[in-house]
Amino acid sequence: MNRETLFDALAGIDDRFIAEALRYSPEAASGSSERIVHLKKKRIISFALAAALILALGVTAWAVFSTYSVRVPEPDEGFRINWEENASGYIEWTDAKLAVTFPETAESREIEFRPGWLPAELPSQLPGSFPWDGLDSGTWFSRLSFEGLADSFPNMTASNQPLLIETYYMSMFNDGGALLLLYYTPEDIIEDHWDEQNVDVMRFHATQHLEANAYAPERTLEQDILLMSDPDAGWVVCLRSGIGMDELVKVAKNLEIRETGKEFSYDDFEDHYTFMDGGVG
Amino acid sequence: MTHVEDSEIIDLFFERSEQAVSELEKQYGKAVRQTAENILRDRLDAEECINDTYLKVWNSIPPQRPDYLGSYVCRIARNTAVSRLRAETAEKRNRGLDLILDELEECIPSGENVEDRIETRELTEAIDRFLSSLDYDDRFLFLRRYWYADSVKDIAAAMHLRENRLSVRLFRLREKLRKTLVKEGLLV
Repeated sequence: MNRETLFDALAGIDDRFIAEALRYSPEAASGSSERIVHLKKKRIISFALAAALILALGVTAWAVFSTYSVRVPEPDEGFRINWEENASGYIEWTDAKLAVTFPETAESREIEFRPGWLPAELPSQLPGSFPWDGLDSGTWFSRLSFEGLADSFPNMTASNQPLLIETYYMSMFNDGGALLLLYYTPEDIIEDHWDEQNVDVMRFHATQHLEANAYAPERTLEQDILLMSDPDAGWVVCLRSGIGMDELVKVAKNLEIRETGKEFSYDDFEDHYTFMDGGVG
Repeated sequence: MTHVEDSEIIDLFFERSEQAVSELEKQYGKAVRQTAENILRDRLDAEECINDTYLKVWNSIPPQRPDYLGSYVCRIARNTAVSRLRAETAEKRNRGLDLILDELEECIPSGENVEDRIETRELTEAIDRFLSSLDYDDRFLFLRRYWYADSVKDIAAAMHLRENRLSVRLFRLREKLRKTLVKEGLLV
């Protein structure tokens, strides 16, 4: 058999499939027509979806609601994301020259982390932000996790969380899973190894273009992003914020990270394919 | 279009009415043209292919009475386009189809791992089962890319999705097909 045999075999498939694919029918799609309506929003909250998935799987993610600056720089019109898939299970973001890679044989191990230092909490009502009264009540988890924010404000997106800490696992990337940082335009990437935590680090300033929606005009966000990874254990912790790189590094260096001993397999995530698609775009 | 309208067009063919072809073109002309152009990537070649397609439909109905007229005419268009393409020299072969063939080749790791006795028919049946296992979106995506030979850009526009996302899904689908073929013993 060669590729043409496969192509020829395709020629003979059932008429029903060919007829079905004559025109795209959103109503027939699994998510119904509503899926299309919410698609742009879904793209925008891609990281939120990934974070929510992680939360649903029992992984703790902490987010601090503080300030961020929104300004619109010159649009980077020439930037295009071209990425390559690799059969060994990682995705390379070539234009960014940034690859989140794991050894093929590593198994993901669940981690949990606890911030040892955080920036001072900021006023609950910031110009241009969502009304927010959650900082005065509830537990740290409920008021700082994305899940907590989303419960209170269904339209809240991860972009409204100026400091967000998320975890990713190698298992999520098998078979072309979620693509980290798909929507960001990075500047110079600084790579480092932090002996104290024994992690590889990549950090950079990045911009993210957000399309207009019912709640905000079209805009470009600027954030600092810091990725801490343990390739042997198969996890990545992603911190992103608008609080400045120095502050972000301080948060990262004071993160207490530990493995719980539980191993994640690809199957843990497989049922969430559709959900994770949001992370892809 | 509804099934009843398909039947009416088929009836026109049975009556040998010239209106049959114009009605067929009205209903499926766009799909036929797109299929031919996707494969041939040459407007003139596609035009001849389309004419050949309608002639073949005219000559085959009757006696044929297809259950799915759209599939029937598009299948003829595809087969005609592929035959035409293969008849041409290697230099004239278009890069678009080669790209699709390259992608499909990912489902076949290497020639020597494959049992030569596998018949195309058996493979087709396996692909049918594979397609049945997919949800609507994935099936649509797979068919538009590998049957209708649409570009990823066009499919993305139809589905209101980003090209990057579709590329990821196509990658998964090819991998899933490969695993299916292995599981069914068609690849060893």
